Amino acid sequence: MSDFAFSKGRIDPASLAAPLEREDAGGFASFEGRVRNHHEGRAVTALDYEAFEALAVAEGGRIVADALRRHGALEARCVHRLGRLSVGEVAVWIGVSAPHRAEAFAACRAIIDAVKHRLPIWKKEHYSDGDSGWVNCEHAPAATEPAFDYSRQLALPEVGAEGQAGLAAARVLVVGAGGLGCAVLTSLGGAGVGEITVMDHDRVAASNLHRQPLFGPADVGRPKAEAAAARIRDYNPSIVVHAVTERFDDSTADARVAAADIVVDCTDNFAAKFRVNDAAMRAGVPAVLASVYQYEGQLQVVRADRGGSCLRCQWPEAARDGLVGNCEQAGVLGPVPAVLGQLQAMEVLKLLLGLQGQLGNEVLLVDLLALGQRRLAAPRDPRCAGGCIRVANAAAATAPESLDVAMPLEAAAAAGYRIVDIREPMECAFEPLPVSGQESLPLGRLLEGGLAVDPGRRYLLVCAHGVRSHAAAEFLRARGHPNVWSLEGGLAAQAR
Amino acid sequence: MPRLTLHYYAVLREQAGRSSESVETGAATPAALYAELTARHRFRLAASQLQVAVNGAFSGFDQALKDGDEVVFIPPVAGG
Repeated sequence: MSDFAFSKGRIDPASLAAPLEREDAGGFASFEGRVRNHHEGRAVTALDYEAFEALAVAEGGRIVADALRRHGALEARCVHRLGRLSVGEVAVWIGVSAPHRAEAFAACRAIIDAVKHRLPIWKKEHYSDGDSGWVNCEHAPAATEPAFDYSRQLALPEVGAEGQAGLAAARVLVVGAGGLGCAVLTSLGGAGVGEITVMDHDRVAASNLHRQPLFGPADVGRPKAEAAAARIRDYNPSIVVHAVTERFDDSTADARVAAADIVVDCTDNFAAKFRVNDAAMRAGVPAVLASVYQYEGQLQVVRADRGGSCLRCQWPEAARDGLVGNCEQAGVLGPVPAVLGQLQAMEVLKLLLGLQGQLGNEVLLVDLLALGQRRLAAPRDPRCAGGCIRVANAAAATAPESLDVAMPLEAAAAAGYRIVDIREPMECAFEPLPVSGQESLPLGRLLEGGLAVDPGRRYLLVCAHGVRSHAAAEFLRARGHPNVWSLEGGLAAQAR
Repeated sequence: MPRLTLHYYAVLREQAGRSSESVETGAATPAALYAELTARHRFRLAASQLQVAVNGAFSGFDQALKDGDEVVFIPPVAGG
């Protein structure tokens, strides 16, 4: 249940406060907003409240959750009235339980200010002379908080009021809230992109913090999408930020991309990058992709809306996760994803504002040690006769949802799976698989065709975390071996 | 023999121990050139796992090379 609700009947503060009583709460603060009998010198007799309910309930829930987290309160509830109210009635009620009075007062104040500032609620005042009027005071900026000021970018002749309105109307989907995503979200949020959706199924880890400045130690363990969205909402309260904690490979990926004007790929593995690329190609939505490796990065803009070249034109041999290291295996310095993420944000703004210099059918290579960059022409692959969309569709058809399976290795062996350990010999020696009878074949040799697949058997590929085995299973399926699966989460998930 | 300028990225840079070099070579194509370099630098990636760009544009491994060409070998990277 959301901690925010609307009520069409009278609000009863006592019955709302009772469930918030807790033995660990030394402080309880409540606020009642009531209908007063005057507004700007006119006598008011009654009020009508209307709201965009679905949006307001979701946003109200976020307001309460943010206030609890930021001020260290334990529990809170906010109820807002709808419909006709007479003078003296309670229009909004907030109650907060906290360890001490300071947290209770602070969270309560933060909730009422945010409710007034952010929620889509309107009120119509009825005056004693029979007149009435809609008053837009509810979501005007709070008096204590200045409006987000875009004057320094409005001053650019290429932006201006028209460009700013275009940004405010734009919807951008950011897949991945890691090093790249933090930079992208910050700059797009600051620029006033009106609706940003951030998607990430992972949780914040302590090892993320050095390069992902939207998170602090207190966020470790929180869903990344939620923590990132909360920070960007704090940073720019005038935009809408949605958090999605599902994996991008679920059945709604295409619909999410189609609902966006631009999709930004901030993922950290090839399998995900191809999924973003393919969904963008199918939807005809431009995609801005980037990858980093230690001190270097690559940037590509896929103009799916203009039949441009795509990730598959550059890397037609499908995903190669595990072939080269990701940030975990190879290491990375914080400014590298930050710089590449800022370049992505810049390309998004160029697209939205129609600026010059957009990366077209090209790949930009950036080397931050040598401070060099190289812009390489990347035309559509001439062998891709039917177009990238057909390739993308074929890839979708050969990559069913069930590629990853989660089960104990003993159970897999008992069920007749041929278990193939694709880790490097050193990893196998350090941590042998907890089953016998498995085959050992490092990924590199598997990709060279080293696995003789018996079409009559089922294969389960295993690696440390399930990333390399996923890529290897995709590789084998693309070569006509449907009976190949990847152990989800790898050996690490077995230990838990 | 033709002289070429080579640039390396990511794991290739690490394995070669440099980000660029100038070589004289009889290799007529990027495929032949990469085979020659693999012997010298002990590259562990196969040519089929890489992309190559000649004079600022992605090209095939069978493109003819000529004196003064700039060749860039690019491994896949996916970190984020």
